Amino acid sequence: MKISVEDVRYIAKLSKLNITFEEAQKMVGEFEGILTYFESIDRLDLKDALPDPPDRNGGTVLRKDEISVFEDKEKLFLNAKSMRDSYISVPKIIE
Amino acid sequence: MSFETVIGLEIHAELNTKSKLFCSCPAEFGAKPNGNTCPVCLGLPGTLPVLNEGAVVLAVKAGLILNCEIMTRSRMDRKNYFYPDLPKAYQTTQYDIPICRNGYVDIGTEELPRRIRLTRIHLEEDAGKLIHLEESDVSLIDYNRAGIPLIEIVTEPDLRSAEEAVAFLKALRSMLEYGGISDCRMERGSLRCDANISLRRAGQNTLNTRVELKNMNSFKELQKALESEEERQRELYSLGEENRIVQETRRWDGAKVKTVPMRSKEDAHDYRYFPEPDLGPVIISDAMIREIRESLPEMPADRKKRFRDLYGLKDKEIDIIVGDKALSEYYEALTARGTDPRAGANWILGSMLKLLKEKGLEAGQIPVPPEELHKLIRIIKEGKISLTAGQEVFSQMFDTGRSAGDIIKEKGLSQISDRMELGRIITGVLDDNPQSLSDYAAGKTQAAVFLMGQIMKATKGRANPQLAREILEEKLKKGLP
Amino acid sequence: MNIHEMTAMEIRKGITEKQFSATDAVTAFFERICEKEPLIDGFLTLCREEALAKARQIDEKIKAGEPVGKLAGVPVALKDNICTDGIRTTCASRMLQDFIPPYDATVVKKLKEADAVIIGKTNMDEFAMGSSTENSAFKKTKNPWDRERVPGGSSGGSAAVVSAGMAALALGSDTGGSIRQPAAFCGVVGLKPTYGLISRFGLIAFGSSLDQIGPLANNIKDSALALEAIQGEDKKDSTSVRHPVTEDYISTIEKGVKGMRIGVPAEFFHSGLDEEIAFSVKACMQKFEAMGAVVEDISLPKTEEGLSAYYIISSAEASSNLGRFDGLRYGYRTEDFNSFEELVEKSRSEGFGEEVKRRIMLGTFVLSSGYYDAYYSRAQKLRARIREQFAKAFESYDILLSPASPVLPFKIGEKAGNPLEMYLSDIYTVNINLAGLPALSMPCGISRDGLPVGLQIIGPHYGEEKILKAAYALEQELRLTAMRPTL
Repeated sequence: MKISVEDVRYIAKLSKLNITFEEAQKMVGEFEGILTYFESIDRLDLKDALPDPPDRNGGTVLRKDEISVFEDKEKLFLNAKSMRDSYISVPKIIE
Repeated sequence: MSFETVIGLEIHAELNTKSKLFCSCPAEFGAKPNGNTCPVCLGLPGTLPVLNEGAVVLAVKAGLILNCEIMTRSRMDRKNYFYPDLPKAYQTTQYDIPICRNGYVDIGTEELPRRIRLTRIHLEEDAGKLIHLEESDVSLIDYNRAGIPLIEIVTEPDLRSAEEAVAFLKALRSMLEYGGISDCRMERGSLRCDANISLRRAGQNTLNTRVELKNMNSFKELQKALESEEERQRELYSLGEENRIVQETRRWDGAKVKTVPMRSKEDAHDYRYFPEPDLGPVIISDAMIREIRESLPEMPADRKKRFRDLYGLKDKEIDIIVGDKALSEYYEALTARGTDPRAGANWILGSMLKLLKEKGLEAGQIPVPPEELHKLIRIIKEGKISLTAGQEVFSQMFDTGRSAGDIIKEKGLSQISDRMELGRIITGVLDDNPQSLSDYAAGKTQAAVFLMGQIMKATKGRANPQLAREILEEKLKKGLP
Repeated sequence: MNIHEMTAMEIRKGITEKQFSATDAVTAFFERICEKEPLIDGFLTLCREEALAKARQIDEKIKAGEPVGKLAGVPVALKDNICTDGIRTTCASRMLQDFIPPYDATVVKKLKEADAVIIGKTNMDEFAMGSSTENSAFKKTKNPWDRERVPGGSSGGSAAVVSAGMAALALGSDTGGSIRQPAAFCGVVGLKPTYGLISRFGLIAFGSSLDQIGPLANNIKDSALALEAIQGEDKKDSTSVRHPVTEDYISTIEKGVKGMRIGVPAEFFHSGLDEEIAFSVKACMQKFEAMGAVVEDISLPKTEEGLSAYYIISSAEASSNLGRFDGLRYGYRTEDFNSFEELVEKSRSEGFGEEVKRRIMLGTFVLSSGYYDAYYSRAQKLRARIREQFAKAFESYDILLSPASPVLPFKIGEKAGNPLEMYLSDIYTVNINLAGLPALSMPCGISRDGLPVGLQIIGPHYGEEKILKAAYALEQELRLTAMRPTL
């Protein structure tokens, strides 16, 4: 299927990725190839197929409503680059 | 040209669970920032969700209370978007198949009933909280709220005025509170309401472009925002410029007292919903529905009816008492102990509400146990102290937590109801006031009032008024030559 | 015999029978690592201190006469997308280059309970996306059989270190073949269990409905032992199995294949298959017949389309799973930014490699409005059909056979420029993930150029016992357990 550089740039924005115009152009070719390949599934008759996987377990696990505290908060936030008091701090977000 | 206002509401209520929707972190309010977090609700890589049974039960309960069809098989979906308060960059919610469908809430009166239909109720997780500091180049994120279980209730566009919308929300709130689903506090954010509003020409049965309103944090703000937006749209219609009404989100600005357009977070709101692969389907058995239905507590409408039938109170009084669940429960604790329903209602609606307001407390925090108030009411009924004194005693009980008996003893507030003792005092008063006696004999009935005053003074207000008047009249009659 | 040449079972036995200590074993492996790792580049992180501490602990238990776990003293390497408490876990990505998880994956907990010794984290394709381990942001792992060639991917590091004798066991993850194909390329045994048999809690997600952790080993029995240690229900993983499973595979593993019905899908022998591989696989079919099994051709028509369904579904899930990497709470954060938007976009763009970005965008595309029905929805329906197809096949057959890869290990850099070509080489493995079935890859021959050839044995859901039985029988018959690369 045909897609445009604009489509690719839109998708990049939606995915929060920066791509240059050249990268977008390159991707158009790659995506078109891949998406054309995907068209092989168009030929199939899938009318009656049930999309949801068969549930062998009687529904999703239901956890008892009980509290369990993760004690080591220092370890939990070890990877945060910037904190203030116990908040995570980030550059100001304009709303 | 007459116009009709069309309003639909989207309500989020925090569920009364102990733990969060997908992890076992405490779901409580007011903890230290990021104190109620763990790898799962922080969205750390490698973590997986496990659904809280309590949340499912409360969602089903809400559906039953709100007359919905419970979907025995529903599904969780991912709603993908980027925002700093969303740790996984997706919210796990229900899109295609919600847990409840097609309910209703009846508001209005017996003469003019109004049925407001509900489209759906679904389960979803809350996001964290962003705090923007005024003079700072940073924003702060607290993830305590991330993962808290919510139900989202969506109404059909059945509401026809701002007032009706508020009445509906109040009724809904009361039902959710009575059902133990949520504590529903708008100021605290455990009940949130967004609105969709549009206008149309009376008689038209299609819907025009609607505007979404956000940031209404109280019933008053909801009403004001809706009225303000209604006015804005009506004006555009009157100018023939209704095409300027666009589908947008506006926020209520309390300072400017009007709705203002919101800066859109993202140009594209393509949420790319797809079924949550980390969870199986949500299966609700018929047995579970039955069990929950059987355990449903009394709802406000039923309680009001019961109060009307049992206690013979006026509708307005019932609305106030039943409107506050804890208050109505306190009232019934009194009547259960034998307090006269009328007397009990007077005390609740009078002194109790006044003191609660003064002290800034809620009905759930009444410091006087029902047993103690019941005793006080009985003491007054038995004539041991006067009603006025009783009110003072109650106030003391509120402040100190001491019993009526102790306070009365200490302050010496006991009413003098003994005939002989009172008789002696009144005789003394009459002896001290011979002029009044002759005045009365001369036909000045005013003298009796004066004498009553003197009796009260002599007894420091403790004379049983009815008895004192009776004895005084007897003596006055006798005293006539 | 050198300790590093022993099987995991032999190592445990040696320790419990006090022929050598756990510390001896671990030290021996670290010496081997010292020697051979510069040639292979299979590890991203080594945990020498922690490993020796654990070994000491085990030695103390043995001295005190206390019981020790199933994998006592066995040095195990973990693919670097499995979270280890306090130990860097990177997914071979710049995005997580200094990420230290505050918790252990469930499989890691189980390994520790079994007294295994974790010696290091292995290289992989970034975020498990790739078939050659060339997509790692940090290093390129070499195939121990020919160091100019790739070890396969995405669990290339795990396969290479086991093949090179630098770990007795390793764990990898398999979303579309990422355990089986590198196992085939490196001449080791790689098992992808039934979806749900092994907990995914702590596995950094790529394709949530497809991912499974599995063991890589030098022989079948070790593979079975590892499976016993790490399988089972996990309350933290809602997709984990909820019924009792076979606890003991070892006791039935030698039962042989007499009477076993084996199907061989004709579609797997298509024109793209290397003829040497076809030859080795056909030889295996004959061996099975000779051992008393019934081997027949069958047809699985949806095979090729499965590849499309796989890439659509896995990219879609990945695009969602990788959304959380924004530089806020953990992970790579760009140096300069003037706004919040820039912080997120630059961090992601600089932190992720090309293939990862490609898959994220592909996934975002197939989920986007207007395309969801055409791609994602249809792919799920096709998936259901593939599942049905296999279910039908397993009504008549106990196991199925196929090559593990259509090509022999290729040279480093050879396929890098063509993503579609790389995707096409997953043809034998992806359908198994779509159906959630178990499958094992084992060495079944050597090519003319001295490269390993892998055979894939596929079983029905929770049919690991059958697979291991057949694999063991073949392993004994082929006498390839001594097959090791010369380094």
